[in-house]
Amino acid sequence: MDCYTANWNPLGDSAFYRKYELYSMDWDLKEELRDCLVAAAPYGGPIALLRNPWRKEKVASIRPVLEIYSASGLPLASLLWKSGPVVSLGWSAEEELLCVQEDGVVLVYGLHGDFRRHFSMGNEVLQNRVLDARIFHTEFGSGVAILTGAHRFTLSANVGDLKLRRMPEVPGLQSAPSCWTTLCQDRVAHILLAVGPDLYLLDHAACSAVTPPGLAPGVSSFLQMAVSFTYRHLALFTDTGYIWMGTASLKEKLCEFNCNIRAPPKQMVWCSRPRSKERAVVVAWERRLMVVGDAPESIQFVLDEDSYLVPELDGVRIFSCSTHEFLHEVPVASEEIFKIASMAPGALLLEAQKEYEKESQKADEYLREIQELGQLTQAVQQCIEAAGHEHRPDMQKSLLRAASFGKCFLDRFPPDSFVRMCQDLRVLNAIRDYHIGIPLTYSQYKQLTIQVLLDRLVLRRLYPLAIQICEYLRLPEVQGVSRILAHWACYKVQQKDVSDEDVARAINQKLGDTPGVSYSDIAARAYGCGRTELAIKLLEYEPRSGEQVPLLLKMKRSKLALSKAIESGDTDLVFTVLLHLKNELNRGDFFMTLRNQPMALSLYRQFCKHQELETLKDLYNQDDNHQELGSFHIRASYAAEERIEGRVAALQMAADAFYKAKNEFAAKATEDQMRLLRLQRRLEDELGGHFVDLSLHDTVTTLVLGGHSKRAEQLARDFRIPDKRLWWLKLTALADLEDWEELEKFSKSKKSPIGYLPFVEICMKQHNKYEAKKYASRVGPEQKVKALLLVGDVAQAADVAIEHRNEAELTLVLSHCTGTADAATADKIQRARAQAQKK
Amino acid sequence: MAFPHRPDAPELPDFSMLKRLARDQLIYLLEQLPGKKDLFIEADLMSPLDRIANVSILKQHEVDKLYKVENKPALSSNEQLCFLVRPRIKNMRYIASLVNADKLAGRTRKYKVIFSPQKFHACEMVLEEEGVYGDVDFVTALCSQVVYEGLVDDTFRIKCGSVDFGPEVTSSDRSLKVLLNAEDKVFNEIRNEHFSNVFGFLSQKARNLQAQYDRRRGMDIKQMKNFVSQELKGLKQEHRLLSVHIGACESIMKKKTKQDFQELIKTEHALLEGFNIRESTSYIEEHIDRQVSPIESLRLMCLLSLTENGLIPKDYRSLKTQYLQSYGPEHLLTFSNLRRAGLLTEQAPGDTLTAVESKVSKLVTDKAAGKITDAFSSLAKRSNFRAISKKLNLIPRVDGEYDLKVPRDMAYVFSGAYVPLSCRLIEQVLERRSWQGLDEVVRLLNCSELAFTDMTKEDKASSESLRLILVVFLGGCTFSEISALRFLGREKGYRFIFLTTAVTNSARLMEAMSEVKA
Repeated sequence: MDCYTANWNPLGDSAFYRKYELYSMDWDLKEELRDCLVAAAPYGGPIALLRNPWRKEKVASIRPVLEIYSASGLPLASLLWKSGPVVSLGWSAEEELLCVQEDGVVLVYGLHGDFRRHFSMGNEVLQNRVLDARIFHTEFGSGVAILTGAHRFTLSANVGDLKLRRMPEVPGLQSAPSCWTTLCQDRVAHILLAVGPDLYLLDHAACSAVTPPGLAPGVSSFLQMAVSFTYRHLALFTDTGYIWMGTASLKEKLCEFNCNIRAPPKQMVWCSRPRSKERAVVVAWERRLMVVGDAPESIQFVLDEDSYLVPELDGVRIFSCSTHEFLHEVPVASEEIFKIASMAPGALLLEAQKEYEKESQKADEYLREIQELGQLTQAVQQCIEAAGHEHRPDMQKSLLRAASFGKCFLDRFPPDSFVRMCQDLRVLNAIRDYHIGIPLTYSQYKQLTIQVLLDRLVLRRLYPLAIQICEYLRLPEVQGVSRILAHWACYKVQQKDVSDEDVARAINQKLGDTPGVSYSDIAARAYGCGRTELAIKLLEYEPRSGEQVPLLLKMKRSKLALSKAIESGDTDLVFTVLLHLKNELNRGDFFMTLRNQPMALSLYRQFCKHQELETLKDLYNQDDNHQELGSFHIRASYAAEERIEGRVAALQMAADAFYKAKNEFAAKATEDQMRLLRLQRRLEDELGGHFVDLSLHDTVTTLVLGGHSKRAEQLARDFRIPDKRLWWLKLTALADLEDWEELEKFSKSKKSPIGYLPFVEICMKQHNKYEAKKYASRVGPEQKVKALLLVGDVAQAADVAIEHRNEAELTLVLSHCTGTADAATADKIQRARAQAQKK
Repeated sequence: MAFPHRPDAPELPDFSMLKRLARDQLIYLLEQLPGKKDLFIEADLMSPLDRIANVSILKQHEVDKLYKVENKPALSSNEQLCFLVRPRIKNMRYIASLVNADKLAGRTRKYKVIFSPQKFHACEMVLEEEGVYGDVDFVTALCSQVVYEGLVDDTFRIKCGSVDFGPEVTSSDRSLKVLLNAEDKVFNEIRNEHFSNVFGFLSQKARNLQAQYDRRRGMDIKQMKNFVSQELKGLKQEHRLLSVHIGACESIMKKKTKQDFQELIKTEHALLEGFNIRESTSYIEEHIDRQVSPIESLRLMCLLSLTENGLIPKDYRSLKTQYLQSYGPEHLLTFSNLRRAGLLTEQAPGDTLTAVESKVSKLVTDKAAGKITDAFSSLAKRSNFRAISKKLNLIPRVDGEYDLKVPRDMAYVFSGAYVPLSCRLIEQVLERRSWQGLDEVVRLLNCSELAFTDMTKEDKASSESLRLILVVFLGGCTFSEISALRFLGREKGYRFIFLTTAVTNSARLMEAMSEVKA
């Protein structure tokens, strides 16, 4: 294994650093890297290059070209730059390219060079120009910070939700700072800048001078500063060739290093990983690369050509015209296994497996050694972990083979860590492939998550690979395959050279009824590309009407939307379309449309009842629906109108409508009501009190109660109140008045059409037994027993029942016999019964 | 009494899950407006809300004050307002006016509107009011209920499974909110009972309870300790419930005797059986003349119309005239609504055939009668109550007294006079395991899929002994129907789960149809 660690470089006592090649770049760069603005996205992202003609004093006559490559150097896009001079390039977290122009306008491009949008960093920039800009990443998204010609800073912490923050002025700042960077502390973005020997921290409230603890004396200027990937650490490079490394809060120093090179470095970036043993920065000059940390010696590399550093979560990528390399601190597991003469369990297991393959007995010796120490589990785990950190598939395989070998000798080793690592490595190897060109490390992949990785593949239009990965990892369809298919479909609809039919068919063939695919989203995209017909075709496949209808409306296909809404049976949707149609069409057309859609019409009527009464009337008029029109006027007569004349007029209209509807009953009833209303009004004028709106019955009752018997009689005659009703009415009213004298007179006025039992009942209800008895005597024979029982005369009731020889009556009386008082009566009945039976 | 289920009847699923889900969803919605907020609730939603979350849960999620949604300016001074309403235009206008008032006053607050239950309710309401739902078994809904739970609903109105008993029941000056479900042990035993049995049962129960209390005498200290710690609480609880239900019964009795309930029931039965139509009509007329109750009068008129397949023209006019005179002219619109819904109609000349038909069908054999019925039903457009009730034997022939203590069929829910149509259909379908052989009935019901919305679903895969049946009532059902099906379940070893859009009764149905002067 001695050759394997040949590229390992120790830094101090604890850590090794290694640099290995990711790709040999065969991109066809027309320009030197040094002449270009360069931006490489983290997490193995794409590289953008823009030859910078504005850097040199002479104004170039030819327009520069913006080129985008994958990390493996495959061209993704190339476009002629037609906009203004660019100060800085950078990638957002969504892998969108942000190009900050001198005039403060930021142009946003997609991975394939498609223009997305633009925004401005503020008006004051127009005059002062942008001197420098940084694109940075926070937990909220991607931010932009600019330095203007007036030496002021402006930043936006999230370009997705643009809020510009103008940072406070640095007092007495006359020239541009020698270097600056954005920091992120407590979820707030700050700016750290160096002016001569001083450092200033700008937050949104104030500018404060800061001093790094333990900074060596004699510094007159800071040439470079670097913040770590996680914003936790800060490194400063001074004009004395001295590097200070500490926390980004400037509260603590980690270490310092004197490299004795006074030339300003081209780039300085942190090289660490989560749970690093060593904190180190990588400093690059024209031809020299240096790794420095808490150690007296540094690691030095010679750069053969112009190179560019890309900080990553767990190391640094270095690309040049011909190669792309990765420099990182060797992870613990790898170190344990591969370190020369390592006796770590993983190292022994790897040896054992190799000997086993050679069919050597040493395999057994090694294995025994591990087992004796009880470290086999640990050994397997180490091998699995180390496999994840290897870039070369053959090394991954040999480590996994060792792990698998060791597993055989373990009773209960849970298989998932091994299986998961195999799966992860397969995915990683697939995307690291030259053709794909995403050189993610295992740690980066875990940080990024599979979902984001899939997004990035989709962004690169690598749909088949993405789907394969989903299927391989058995991701749920909704998150995996269907989402990717939907993205594919959205891309597909943009292919202008394919006909609507073909696109729609192709999409439906691929997508079918895959769960989680929203055809309406795809249709919306098609509509966005100006392909309305295609959008309609796609919407046909959308099973959810709630999604179909709004888009159809947006596309101004309201009638289609209406029929879809009606099909759905969702009234809410129908209303949505109706209100839309109402504004879109003129009234006549709108009504005609409704006419053909009964459900919509009835819903609209319902709506009008609450909101637009006049429209309701028009609707009925249009349909010659006189019955409803009549009802409408009736309602208006008491709901909308206050004055009697207005109400009578409304009723007249109602009556006319009812005649037209051949509903004579309603017409007559309405005319009666008109008469009654006028009369009630007159009664109020003449007698005072409240009459309007009472029912006929209540009107007459009110008159009787008020002692206007004559008026009551007259009214009853005028409105042909049936005798029965009138008798009930007067009986109840007079009893209520307790006008017993009048009641008796009334009862004798003629033969009662309702009989005399009601008189008994009502008197009893008023607890007047005396009066009740009077009427009981007048009750006809059929109801005599009932009447007598009502007034409590059980004995007489029994006599009558016996006389009637009516079994039902006898039973009834018997059920009223309670207590000793009625014992004799009960006896009598029983005797009568017995006698009847004898006969 | 509450007869035990057959031992092979399956267990019911755990329904408290539904409650938990609803509560979690509400909390989720409330938390979307973090911080203190006032909650405005539509009166309609108070009872449902009560079922899923109490005030302390609301307080936990920083609901400060509760307001009813009324047409009044809101006095709330909170910076965040949350509305929990039905999706109705009226409500939207109210909220809009509130927000606009704030705007005028230069006030900015956060508002959140929660709709319940999304949009489907609007659909249901509109359809109900517009009468789109063809024929439903209105007869059942219109009959006076005599089973305890139904009576409580008719008398006090059960809302979301709970009822407000007024002072007349509690015999104190406060009213009491009682949750009526299987957890109320007393209620659980009497809910499905005919009212005539309930009193007897309750007094028996009271005696038993007393006996249990009396056991205290003669206990030693240890037994007493046991009694107090284990049984007393349960007994007290039961005692409290018992007194509530006895109070409710008394109150029901008082109300019913005032209205001469016996007369009323007699008339209803006469209408169902089609006897003494003249007498019943006069009874209804008197009912109207005496202004007993607008809703009750209307109910009887509708029942007459439904059972007689429309009123004869003379009665149709005179009853309507009388009604208008008694209760006000705005009911002209009520009649229009009822006619559209098919609840109160005039006999068309062709319909007189039904009288002949019912006579014919008595004479000839059942099979022939079926054919004749077919012929007639194609003549008569509307569903025909007589034909259906004959076909399905909805009105059982009774020899002698119907013993309500030991009910023999589902008709006990209407004192033996009538089996609710839906229940009989479910029974038939369950017996046949399909709609097969019910074609004639289906035809009589007119396009049954739409009109007859009870769907009986059965899990065929499960073994014979597992007979758990989900009954879905679209458009609502009555407590009587539920009681009848529970009876069926006990007899045949089924377990029913009821899913209904609403529990309805005659008053609710009639009120929905009535025009009310604003």
